[in-house]
Amino acid sequence: MIRTIAIAGKGGTGKTSVAALLINFLSERGLVLAVDADPAMNLNQALGVPLDGAQTIGGIRETLTKDVSQGRISPSVTKMDYMFSKMLETLVEFRGFDLLAMGRPEGLGCYCAPNEFLRRALDRLAKDYKYRYIVMDCEAGMEHISRQTTRDIDILLITSDPTIRGITVASRVKNLIGELRTKVGKMGLIVNRVRDGLPPEIEKAINDSDLEIISTIPEDPYIADLEIRGAPVTSLPSDSPLRVKAKEIAEICA
Amino acid sequence: MADGFHADMGPQYEGEVIRKENLYIEFGGPKVARKFELATVKSPEEVENERIELIGPDLKDFTEGGSYPLAILVDVAGSELDKDAEAIIERRIHMFTNYTEGWYHMNQRQDMWLRMNQDCHKKGFESLRELGEILSFLYTSELSIIESIQITLVTDDKKIEELLPHALEVYTARDERTRTLRDEDVDTFYGCVLCQSFAPTHLSVITPDRIANCGAINWFDGRSAAKIDPEGPIFAIPKGDLIDPIKGEYSGVNKIESERSMATYDRVYLYSAFEHPHTSCGCFEAIVFYIPEADGFGVVNRDFKGETVIGETFSHMAGDTSGGRQVEGRLGTGLEQLMSPKFIQADGGRKRIVWLPKEIKERYKEAFEADGVYDKIPTEEDVKNTDELMEFLEKVGHPWIAGEVELPE
Repeated sequence: MIRTIAIAGKGGTGKTSVAALLINFLSERGLVLAVDADPAMNLNQALGVPLDGAQTIGGIRETLTKDVSQGRISPSVTKMDYMFSKMLETLVEFRGFDLLAMGRPEGLGCYCAPNEFLRRALDRLAKDYKYRYIVMDCEAGMEHISRQTTRDIDILLITSDPTIRGITVASRVKNLIGELRTKVGKMGLIVNRVRDGLPPEIEKAINDSDLEIISTIPEDPYIADLEIRGAPVTSLPSDSPLRVKAKEIAEICA
Repeated sequence: MADGFHADMGPQYEGEVIRKENLYIEFGGPKVARKFELATVKSPEEVENERIELIGPDLKDFTEGGSYPLAILVDVAGSELDKDAEAIIERRIHMFTNYTEGWYHMNQRQDMWLRMNQDCHKKGFESLRELGEILSFLYTSELSIIESIQITLVTDDKKIEELLPHALEVYTARDERTRTLRDEDVDTFYGCVLCQSFAPTHLSVITPDRIANCGAINWFDGRSAAKIDPEGPIFAIPKGDLIDPIKGEYSGVNKIESERSMATYDRVYLYSAFEHPHTSCGCFEAIVFYIPEADGFGVVNRDFKGETVIGETFSHMAGDTSGGRQVEGRLGTGLEQLMSPKFIQADGGRKRIVWLPKEIKERYKEAFEADGVYDKIPTEEDVKNTDELMEFLEKVGHPWIAGEVELPE
């Protein structure tokens, strides 16, 4: 069985760093499909891998939509096959994991059919390549999840910092999931950058939001320097609090 | 292993994928500019049976892990074989390469992409000629219709460059033949309800002569989608009896229309914009709209931002047309539909079009020229309102206005 893990949360709460570390740890256990579903697209940087100038899935969908309206697609190659082949060309492969960048959500016009082809292509990719884990780095609006995949989520991790705004966004993500067609097995809150325990105001806000804390990550002294150098989070030393906690989360997810 | 080959083969290897970690070498794919595969049916004297030729460097000459050009040419002869078999035989390159342990084939035609893994190399697979031999062996053992076969593998980029234009011509010619499939030639149409979340009573009927309203799903796409998931949003419609060949009314389509529109509609004309026109979702690429002053039709596409000749924009009109309703004189449509010989054939077809955005008129120039109306249809550059439209149509002698178009009976 493939296990699908999605990570969402307010920008700047360490969402992508946690995702990258999870991918890193999970890839030691089985093949991972890493999906960058955040249009900001910096999961590859956090992982320390190049995107090779590859197209994004959003780009493919735009090309397909345009080619279709201009009649440029061969009638003998079905669009489902076309989408799958372009998806393979977009996949960037590394040791233990493959990376797929979703890119921008759609523009104007009708995307019902292209999105359907995309959902099917994703299902086929997951099946053919026999991934053990799918890890999705999502933006808070979860646009890509709601539109592009029928795949249910086994574990949804929501990241926040110890701020009211962070918890508010986290709570919004939780409510949003209730409105989507996607089913979620388990949901957990990760509170990042915590100094000397959670302030009572934040604890209260978390309680009110009905979110369950899966992990509390202390402020990591190595992160600032890492960000300045633009180094991947996977290069964090073994005593880094973020790294230690991410490893624990990976064990829960595995 | 069969016949002394260095790789085992069979359907059990079909699902085997090769990732970069295990890659020995790859041919074609996105990193290589020129690659293709082509099957050609030839006369017996043109085919030297079981001949395998390699033009260009072999595996030992390449760097491990690299990406290189390749063309695979399969020439076959057989008394029962004709040109139509070429596409099917060519597709078997995909299947047979995937049957081969340690080999992976993706995509098709000029996008071909092959991978060979490290294990395969370790087992002694040292020459591309062996891939040719395996293909030849599988072709002859699986397809008895093939009486003789020769396979040429080309890795010399110059030679591929020289051969590629011919292959592209063949692909285009094949696609053209596919476009000649008509509604009369098939028993099954396809239905699509992907848009029902927006338009609950909308069913897109997809036939060889009618692309889905969104322009994205043709009959072949419908067939492939329904085969993979028959209970899914794209499904087969047995077309049933032809009730009206001019208006395009089929008993099978009416039945499914009723089932899928929650009994809102029980009749559809596939080839007319009047009485029981096809429903429109919100996703159509263009709108065919009736212009009472000229008793003709205009067409406006989604990308046309200005006002049409009747003073309404696409988005304004879309509001009145969409929602899964049958609206007489308003038809949401895929743009390619303009090329269909059945395009509102009951109402006079392309000859009844009296206004078009310039871009659309130019895009489908050939079809309008063939009907002799290319010079007769004004665009946003020629006329701004219906008064100017009528003046223009009378001046150029548009055949519909001149009463020269006879409706089919």
